[in-house]
Amino acid sequence: MEPCLENVKAIRRSKEEKKLLRKQIKASHTLLKHEGISTVSKPTKSLVVANGGLGNGVSREQLQVVLGEGGDVETLIMHPHKPYALVTYRTEVSAQRGHVLLNGRQLQCGDQVVTLYLSYVDTVDSESGVCAVLPPGLVLVEEFVSLEEEALLLDAIDWKSHDEEVTVQKALKHRRVKHYGYEFRYDNNNVDKDKPLPGGLPQACVFVLERCVRDRHVKVMPDQLTVNQYQAGQGIPPHVDTHSAFEEPILSLSLGAKTVMDFRHPDGRSVAVVLPGRSLLVMKGESRYLWTHGITPRKFDVVPACDPESPVAVTSDFSNHSNLTLSRRGTRTSLTFRNVRRTPCDCAHPSACDSQQAPPSPPSLPRSQTDACRLEAEYVHSVYEEIAGHFSSTRHSPWPRVCHFLSSLEPGSIVADVGCGNGKYLGVNPEVFAMGCDRSCALVQICSERGFQAFVSDALSVPLRSDICDACISIAVIHHLSTQERRQAAVEELVRLLRPGGRALIYVWALEQEYNKQRSKYLKETREQAPPGNSTDDHNQETKGLTGNSTDDHNQETRGLTGNSTDDHHQEKKGLTGNAVDSHNPAQDPSSMVMECSKVLPVKDSPVKLSVHTNRTAFNSQDLLVPWHLKDGGIKKGGRVSKMTKDPPIDTKSPVLAPCPVFHRFYHVFQQGELEELCARITGVMVQCSYHDQGNWCVILEKTRDR
Amino acid sequence: MCICILYLNVLSRISGSQATEVKVSEVEFNPNFVSRMIPKLEWSALVQAADGLGHLQDLPTELIADYEANEDFLRKVHRVLLEVEVLEGCLQCPESGREFPITRGVPNMLLNEEEA
Repeated sequence: MEPCLENVKAIRRSKEEKKLLRKQIKASHTLLKHEGISTVSKPTKSLVVANGGLGNGVSREQLQVVLGEGGDVETLIMHPHKPYALVTYRTEVSAQRGHVLLNGRQLQCGDQVVTLYLSYVDTVDSESGVCAVLPPGLVLVEEFVSLEEEALLLDAIDWKSHDEEVTVQKALKHRRVKHYGYEFRYDNNNVDKDKPLPGGLPQACVFVLERCVRDRHVKVMPDQLTVNQYQAGQGIPPHVDTHSAFEEPILSLSLGAKTVMDFRHPDGRSVAVVLPGRSLLVMKGESRYLWTHGITPRKFDVVPACDPESPVAVTSDFSNHSNLTLSRRGTRTSLTFRNVRRTPCDCAHPSACDSQQAPPSPPSLPRSQTDACRLEAEYVHSVYEEIAGHFSSTRHSPWPRVCHFLSSLEPGSIVADVGCGNGKYLGVNPEVFAMGCDRSCALVQICSERGFQAFVSDALSVPLRSDICDACISIAVIHHLSTQERRQAAVEELVRLLRPGGRALIYVWALEQEYNKQRSKYLKETREQAPPGNSTDDHNQETKGLTGNSTDDHNQETRGLTGNSTDDHHQEKKGLTGNAVDSHNPAQDPSSMVMECSKVLPVKDSPVKLSVHTNRTAFNSQDLLVPWHLKDGGIKKGGRVSKMTKDPPIDTKSPVLAPCPVFHRFYHVFQQGELEELCARITGVMVQCSYHDQGNWCVILEKTRDR
Repeated sequence: MCICILYLNVLSRISGSQATEVKVSEVEFNPNFVSRMIPKLEWSALVQAADGLGHLQDLPTELIADYEANEDFLRKVHRVLLEVEVLEGCLQCPESGREFPITRGVPNMLLNEEEA
């Protein structure tokens, strides 16, 4: 260190300097808390420049000039939207000069003034000049075992074990997995702590464990080992190891080829970490309990070119690196050592903790607009975004009576399909100008790809002029709105769009799935009965793609599909209205039924919990959650996955069969007469006709000419 | 999103567009269809939108009388209505300044916390 900098420290700090120091420390705390950036007090070549980011409106050019005052800048990393920059100087001296000159410097950015606070950060590899910002608690130790030791270990893992009881070996298309010490239970997502596997951990691994203890990576010898073997192109989905199953740290020894492991924070930040062969990864704290880790199934990784064997954290914005290259993956074997947890987890990350999290409480019927919006966001919108592809594949045949409505329109008519889904109806009548809108971006994108005119919007606020449409359709949409007021508002919006004399066709799912002694196809379809070629659109909602398969996934949930539903149906209706309702009794007074079902609970009553419906059975309530079993084998981010059916969980290192997530969608199914009653409350409309069509209540209403 | 939709949106609440990527494709000309659409259009807004996209060309700034029989005119309208598409760009509300993006031909008209 240069003598003059020593003197700086010795000089009594002025008030201003103290204030600056306080602000700098505060900035570095903020960076740690929000960005996971750890600062150090000892000078290094790299600095974090708080408030000097693109997210602060500071441009690269501007910052480069300012930083240049310290000396030669080797790399400058500025992520979009971030409120900081990361700079690595060519020499430590330059970094120190930069720190002295620029800490507290004010910059004019447009009409704003920003104040820069600089702090040192650890450089992982001074050669490459890339600053590693690893998730907190993550440590990577290179060359933990020698080449000879690596060979010994790989040899010791016998994938063709004779002792089936000792290890449980499962070969999957994804990767090979072997457990020692304890086996995983798939039904409770945890280790069976009372039934250790005989044989314990392999003798050949003992030296590794002893070294880990000696080097203070772990205090207690691990008692569980999972071996994963990845071929090029194989990976493991992102997950957090179950808190209640294992302690910290989790130690992972990489043997064979290097790979890139992706760590993701719940707020979306991600860090890619290169794991060279023979390195030990130690996951503690946030990196073990909060960030997910996974390996993307790829044959090539992007890694820094300068030092291929160096464990460098690659930032997400590759454009700021000048020297990246491709590294072809080879076979990699990981040995993950863990300590089985004996007491509930008490970590500092309850949001990700199964010991501390109560199971999510079932949602209840909303009693305010805000609650309603929130419920629909979670149980309608985000679900459709997740299932869009699969959903679209099950919605390919337009219903005849809807087609008839569309085909009978005058050529040149303007038709709006509000809640158009995958655009099933937009092409039915080429003589009219049809526009679709839907709340789901993913579904609207499908419409666009099919060449239809569609945009993303909310059904309650359609950005089209009033009185513009000759006709509107709303097919299986309004039943997703969770309050009576919102359902009515949706119909009012359709009416607003109609020109006087224009007509709207509305379909909603019916409470009464049996009508005129005929059961709807939704009820009728069972595994045995679904004939080939029976289109999945012929019944109302719950389809599982192709026939024959349709009830496989929800066999677990359904409890007998056939035969009894008539009786059940009547019984359930009895419970609901207090009267045994004969669904085809014309003498039934609709308004009394409607009042019974749609009355608003007084606020002091406890909220009405929404029950989960069993697919292909009669509805036993008007407001419910209907399962959708997603069948594309993948877990996607976002969207509440309500549970996993029958297949093993992904948040352990156990072998994974393709998980089948279940999504719950909110529905309010309509009683006979309820839809007409709703329309009757709207001025300036006339119900032209109403009917029951395959488990739906339907109306055609006309906007009267004089309002 | 073809300019026709743009225009319908335009009329409801927003006007003008700063389109960044426009595609012109060939669509079969149907004079009856175009004739029927014209009464539903607010002409000045259509002209403004077309101009904003740089595709005004020789579209008249005033709606002509007896357009039904004027094939030449109908073809001009057809082009602007059905053949000019905005793939990337945004629509701006003249009242609030709020911008609604168009991505891969799809406008997103959601507001604030409703945004997907």
